[in-house]
Amino acid sequence: MTTVASTYTFLTKRHGGLLTVIGLMVILALFGIFVSDRFSTINNATNIIEQSTALALVSLGQTLVVITGGIDLSIGSMVSLASVLLSGITKGDPTMMWVAIAVVLLLGIAVGLINAGATIWLGVHPLIVTLGMGAVLQGVTLLYTQAPIGKMPKDFSFLAYGRFLGIPVGALFTLLAFIATAWFLHKVPFGRYIYAVGDDAVGAKLMGLPRNRVLYFVYAFCGLTASIAAIFLVARLGVGQPYTGQNFTLTSITPVVVGGTLLSGGRGGVVGTLLGVYLVSLLNNLLNFLDLSTHYQLIVQGLIIIIAVSVYVENKRKV
Amino acid sequence: MLKVSKVSKSFPGVKALSGVELDVKGGEIHALVGENGAGKSTLTKCIAGVFSPDEGEIEFDGKVVQWSSPAEAKAAGIHVIYQEFVLFPNLTVAENIFLGHERRGKFGLLDHGKKRQDAVELLKRLGVSIDPDALISELSVADQQMVEIAKALVHKVKLLILDEPTAVIAGKEVDLLFGRLRALRDDGVAIIYISHRLDEIFELCDRVTVFKDGQFVTNKSVKDVNHDKLVSFMVGRDMSELFPHKAAKTKKGEERPVVLSARDISVKGRVSNASIEVRSGEITALAGMVGAGRTELALGIFGGIPTTSGQVTIDGEIFAKMSPALAITKGIGLLTEDRKGQGLAMLLDVASNISAADLKSVSRSGWMDHGREHDIGKSEIDKYRIASRGPRGPVLTMSGGNQQKVLVARWARTSRKVIIMDEPTRGVDVGAKAEIYKIMRQLADDGLAVLMISSEMPEVIGLADRVYVMREGVVTGELVGKDVDEQRIIQLATQKRAA
Repeated sequence: MTTVASTYTFLTKRHGGLLTVIGLMVILALFGIFVSDRFSTINNATNIIEQSTALALVSLGQTLVVITGGIDLSIGSMVSLASVLLSGITKGDPTMMWVAIAVVLLLGIAVGLINAGATIWLGVHPLIVTLGMGAVLQGVTLLYTQAPIGKMPKDFSFLAYGRFLGIPVGALFTLLAFIATAWFLHKVPFGRYIYAVGDDAVGAKLMGLPRNRVLYFVYAFCGLTASIAAIFLVARLGVGQPYTGQNFTLTSITPVVVGGTLLSGGRGGVVGTLLGVYLVSLLNNLLNFLDLSTHYQLIVQGLIIIIAVSVYVENKRKV
Repeated sequence: MLKVSKVSKSFPGVKALSGVELDVKGGEIHALVGENGAGKSTLTKCIAGVFSPDEGEIEFDGKVVQWSSPAEAKAAGIHVIYQEFVLFPNLTVAENIFLGHERRGKFGLLDHGKKRQDAVELLKRLGVSIDPDALISELSVADQQMVEIAKALVHKVKLLILDEPTAVIAGKEVDLLFGRLRALRDDGVAIIYISHRLDEIFELCDRVTVFKDGQFVTNKSVKDVNHDKLVSFMVGRDMSELFPHKAAKTKKGEERPVVLSARDISVKGRVSNASIEVRSGEITALAGMVGAGRTELALGIFGGIPTTSGQVTIDGEIFAKMSPALAITKGIGLLTEDRKGQGLAMLLDVASNISAADLKSVSRSGWMDHGREHDIGKSEIDKYRIASRGPRGPVLTMSGGNQQKVLVARWARTSRKVIIMDEPTRGVDVGAKAEIYKIMRQLADDGLAVLMISSEMPEVIGLADRVYVMREGVVTGELVGKDVDEQRIIQLATQKRAA
């Protein structure tokens, strides 16, 4: 009884947007079936899921940051830097590959900690801090290399194209990462504090909640997911490129807001984000089938983000 | 349990506390009273570790303490229920209650079942029926207050501080609250009870400490004081010195003309079908508790927030939809409650702030005339006796009272008919208050209609010719002339409690 009641609350009150997203996905899928008979194949579905790995991972980190009322605009550049460092350090050497992976993961965490630290101690809005950090990281990337650099061992592409029990490895990893994060937010007290800080930062301080630790955590987590996303991207492309992450900053925010996380913080979750990721990927896939240039994808995404936010603003007023 | 000695605390430009004393024993309910700005809330925050005192000592549970954070004070057993709730609107009732004291199951993980169950039980003990799964943003203000109180019962407290807990609850809920507080007292908890409602202090408290203007006045046993004595301690001076005369009688004894009337104004969730009339030559007050919807009503009339019903009539002209620009054109001015956020441009100088609402008067064929702006600024500074470093001096470093005068000067210039003032003396010292009162009366005598929103009872009674009282978004009554008194206002602002 309790479970039924709280599940109902979960779906309608706390995550009313999820139903909308699912509805939209169904409509798009039906449209896709109508447009092309190649759309509704297992192959295409796997393709959609496979391609969305990197986006899903950066959006995962972005979600936690947005729940605290912040935003991370540096992740696009973080992805670029991590990807060139990864293949640049590895240079095809399987031993160096592990060093490179460790370096980029640690770097992602470090950049996140710096973002959070600057926000906390300098009192600068994260929008500015991360925007600046993004420029710095892109600059460092271009100093390091202006062209694709290095190469990965052959087996590395397993991350991109491998299958485990018939499921793409990347998709499996994404799913596990999202489940773990959702579980963390739901079951660990610290997860609750992430929401509380975004809901009312001053109140959180008065309550004695660890606001600074929350911020350090979410930005470090966001940097980490950006690095992991870079690893999967490099596995797919075979080499790190200095502009790989360019579009990820905007694209990582789209699934977050489409999934119902409020930009003002305090409400939302990663389940919505994952659905948002698949919605965006589905849409991009559909645009491919319509033989439209990939440039349309940017236009559509820009529009989606504005529409999604306006929808949720309306919802918020109704409450 | 708690001993505060010679504690002082200053903020830029204000000495909020100077050498105050407070001594609270375990097992007593200790009232802390004083007018707004007396320093009660500041002291509360010092005790709770939000501020650290500049001077003096706080002794808690036998040890001199110096909190480095609110968390530390909380861990030591101090719980504060602030006047502004510390609730998280997007979290549920149960989540809010146990925030920071999460109900844990295996491996220290959250136990949602137990959380819910405990919340239900806790709320039942408080005698209220609130859905533990509801979001705080869905609750009424009174229910939110009950959740705040429930939070205090979650963990072992040694010292419980309540800042105006009955500002938004009434009747049965107050009785329930008092019952819980007495039970806690009998368990040996020390309770500091801050309230403006003196009758509650006589009903509930054992001892009372009075502050005035950041200073300790006296500490008495409640048995040894009566209502009037307490008021004289709090005010410290005769009321009549503070307030100017009321509106003079009209010649034939008839009512003054209505210049602005609002009919059936509703603002979603905050105001429902409120109607008021504002007359020229009078000071009309909107009274009521914090959160009663007074500011929202005024903003609705001014067009600052969308209304869902109603119309505004200004001098016979009917408007179904107002906007600030239209209101200003029609001769209405609004001084917001939040001087810094919505009123003053803190980085501009005095003269620019005064002319901000009416740039036409300082322009010539569309170009700014800075000389003229300077002259106007100077004459207004003289007129209102604004203490400043001249027309081009900064407003940022001025005292609250003088900043308020700058705003008055700005709006008095453009308001030909009505001037709305939201909490005009908030955060202003007593001397400046008296001056602002005088200015307000002068504006009314000059023929303006003054609409004032005030949470300070003495201000409403001492100044207003006509009072509308609001409660939970509804206008519950209108009082005129001699009928304006504390008893009637409180009755209308709360529900009359069964004696």
